[in-house]
Amino acid sequence: MKKWSLLLTAVALFVAGCGKSPESPASGSGAGPAGKKITVALLPKSKGNAYFISCKAGAEKAARALGIDLLFDGPTESDPAKQNEIVENWITLGVDVIAAACENREGISTALRKAQSRGIKVITYDADALPDARTFFVNQATPEGIGHGLMDEAARLLNAEGEFAIILATLTAANQQEWRKHIEARLAEKYPKMKLVAVRPCDDLKDKAQSEATALLSAHPNLKLLMNICSPAVPGAAEAVKQAGKAGQVKVIGLGLPSENRRYVKEGVTDSVILWKTEDLGYLTVEAAVALVKGTLKPGDKTFKAGALGEFEIKGDNILLGKPFVFNKDNIDQFNF
Amino acid sequence: MSAPSGKAFVLRHETVLLFVVVAEWCCFNALGPRFGTLDNSFDILRHTVEIGLLALAMTPVILTGGIDLSVGSLLGLCAILFGKLWRDAGLPPEVAAGCTLIFGALAGGLNAALITALRLPPLIVTLGTYSLFRGLAEAITRGADTFTNFPPSFLFLGQERWLGLPTQAWLFLVVAAGIWVLVHRMTYGRTYRAIGFAPEGARFAGVPVQGRIAGVYVLAGLVAALAAIIYTARLGQAKADAGTGYELFAITAVVLGGTSIFGGIGSVHGTLLGVAAIAILNNGLVHARQPREVAGMLTGALLLLALSSSVLPKLFAAWRRPPPAPVRSTPSPPT
Repeated sequence: MKKWSLLLTAVALFVAGCGKSPESPASGSGAGPAGKKITVALLPKSKGNAYFISCKAGAEKAARALGIDLLFDGPTESDPAKQNEIVENWITLGVDVIAAACENREGISTALRKAQSRGIKVITYDADALPDARTFFVNQATPEGIGHGLMDEAARLLNAEGEFAIILATLTAANQQEWRKHIEARLAEKYPKMKLVAVRPCDDLKDKAQSEATALLSAHPNLKLLMNICSPAVPGAAEAVKQAGKAGQVKVIGLGLPSENRRYVKEGVTDSVILWKTEDLGYLTVEAAVALVKGTLKPGDKTFKAGALGEFEIKGDNILLGKPFVFNKDNIDQFNF
Repeated sequence: MSAPSGKAFVLRHETVLLFVVVAEWCCFNALGPRFGTLDNSFDILRHTVEIGLLALAMTPVILTGGIDLSVGSLLGLCAILFGKLWRDAGLPPEVAAGCTLIFGALAGGLNAALITALRLPPLIVTLGTYSLFRGLAEAITRGADTFTNFPPSFLFLGQERWLGLPTQAWLFLVVAAGIWVLVHRMTYGRTYRAIGFAPEGARFAGVPVQGRIAGVYVLAGLVAALAAIIYTARLGQAKADAGTGYELFAITAVVLGGTSIFGGIGSVHGTLLGVAAIAILNNGLVHARQPREVAGMLTGALLLLALSSSVLPKLFAAWRRPPPAPVRSTPSPPT
């Protein structure tokens, strides 16, 4: 019967723990403009990702400026249930507002709705949840912003004249299609002397992008620029141009992380890499989260003033970070993501 | 190792582990103001049920000297299958759940057949099905399809409370009690340990060894399917990556609970304590505002510490006693 008593003790332990002071569930804290320090919980898709580490740096700046507590936690392994667990832990901890970058759109929404039902404010950034699971989405870049940003940069480099080609991930991916549509619209509208001669998929692979780029270079001798709208394609195309000895004659631009392209940018092969400033994304997210708790940011607002960063446009329930940022030889060393 | 010393080992190990769990609880209760609340206890329960179920089902498997690496992947496959049956075949959730459970048992049967009929080592067989099941789940969804928008009546299972406890906790308790009775109180299940000690000996004692071994893998499949349904209800979403890596958590909990990886020694309540120790550690660190990565480190350290703490006293005793070997052996005259 010794085993029985062990088992019972184990169960009793759980129950005893459960029984302990069910103090008012996490909700009570609410917003604390008067007195209590606000706690913002920031959830990245994954914790070790350089992109989110950079977001965190911006978030910490905002936290210091606003004098609030910032919690930053996210999954380190590939367990899709982890984000939910973290959010549920935060609900129990009683944070004031949760800002989430969602890996599993529908799955995380369950946990975020639960947070809302306990009086915790919820916003999303980088990757949205379902609209009813958050109040605002801090949108880092609209498809229009990305499309126009890329096309304008290409036109600036070519003086709005000449042939160019696009390398993208796949011809079917929704976001790629969306960006391509806006690139082509901008081209038709503003740059009549430029000509899009080819659009090639690279399956999101760097080596495939390199061979596609090599093929494009020989097939189109008048090609002046390669525009790469998926991140592996930017270094891939740069390598192809470099090996063909056409650095400088054929420009390379694209959407990607500065860190992956720093080498080619400094060698003068890649001219510019376009992305949003991830630090600003983190800063704006924390500013918006705190404003939501304090009540200075409400649904229906048209603009939002985010401290040192200035004013941002709100479209519906999306807070827009604004135009993408162009990384080039002059500034790329300041960014380490 | 003889049976009585094995039993002493189990008892001592579990006692140690119980102290560890109590110590963890007290420690985190002191560090985190909200750790000991009812809400948080329910959070721990909710987050632990799926891995706990897998660990419970893994216990008989390891007791027979086997291993099942495929349970995490099977969880993913069952979650997808459940989603498919509900959304695409239009079955009500209860029926889809029933079919999923049957499928889980069949998938466990595949492991069982390969292990018992073809006499392949469980490690290799389940390593194969580990890839096979996950691959199937990814192929069915092409890695991108997710199942969601389940009706609230189904989500109740994973997100609400029933009679004071999170709904799924009741299922967990039923499965835990069932497997405990099977392993510790039924002649049928007691043979698992006999098989783990010495399959040949068990066979000569009249135990249908292959049949019993087949049974534990079918059970593991069935429980993995149940875990899949609960997982889907908790997250409100079924995706091909569900349960990634859960098999290793389950094995860790079982071994931490004092079950010998070679089979023959172990207990279900030990496994429950093992699950509790890991779950409390993972949750408590958040409340103590420690980085989450520490949890993996501490789980590993805990496993090693708990294992060695139950062996060290014996080593110590052996060291204090004069070594018996020279006394018993007849001294040979020097040549």
